[in-house]
Amino acid sequence: MNNVPPGSGEQVLRHHLADRLYHWLMAICMLVLLFTGFLPVLGINFGWVDPHWIAGVVLTVLVLFHMIRAVSVLTLSNIWIRWQEFSTAFSATKAEALGGPRVKRKIGKYSVSQKAFHHAAALVVLVAIVTGLVMMIGIDGPFWERNPFIISESSRGIIYVLHGFAGLISITMIIVHIYFAVRPEKLYMTRSMIRGWISRTEYEQNHDPGLWK
Amino acid sequence: MEFLRYKSDVYGQRVLEGAAWDLLWVFLAAAVGFIVFHAIYTHRKMKRQNDEPEG
Repeated sequence: MNNVPPGSGEQVLRHHLADRLYHWLMAICMLVLLFTGFLPVLGINFGWVDPHWIAGVVLTVLVLFHMIRAVSVLTLSNIWIRWQEFSTAFSATKAEALGGPRVKRKIGKYSVSQKAFHHAAALVVLVAIVTGLVMMIGIDGPFWERNPFIISESSRGIIYVLHGFAGLISITMIIVHIYFAVRPEKLYMTRSMIRGWISRTEYEQNHDPGLWK
Repeated sequence: MEFLRYKSDVYGQRVLEGAAWDLLWVFLAAAVGFIVFHAIYTHRKMKRQNDEPEG
């Protein structure tokens, strides 16, 4: 397996430095976007427009970097949900929920729920980015002048609705994401997003080398 | 509860303005609700697992 860093047999690399930096920079951008987007809604008024669009542009660049990296360097099959994997996880979860015995399942690099969360987050963030870029036409920036007449009033309303719902859904997703990140059984994964690696024991106990390409 | 906000345009027509911000509390509550549900579900699952005789 090519995920073991040279000279550290007890550590299995889960996230490269570039991917960890992407994750945490994205997290900072998302928090800036949510605070600048929703604090004024809660009555806390300040000059929120500039930090909001700047964080949005930084997030756009980061997402483009991640997309290019995903198709060129990372292994896409690690994040893809296979039908067999989904049906096995679904059946086991259903059986457990109905009172059956808990079956310890080994996952690939990510669990099915983590992959589903990734895809949902990707969709929400892409909607927020595309609508946000369109909304920037309506404000003055350092390299452009506002032109609110490019899109019609009704189209603008739809754009604002989509952007608003993307922001609202992001709130729920980020809170749930943080909750899972601090759950005891997931802490080793959170550590890997900080330091990059999981231990050989954690790898062997929780992950299936056949699924982690 | 309203899901959308509307305003009047220059012709006095009602046009879409954006998502209703009252929904902020709904999405916050959804997150808290999910966490409470999952925490209880996982706790009960672990307890049941620990109570099961080994064999």
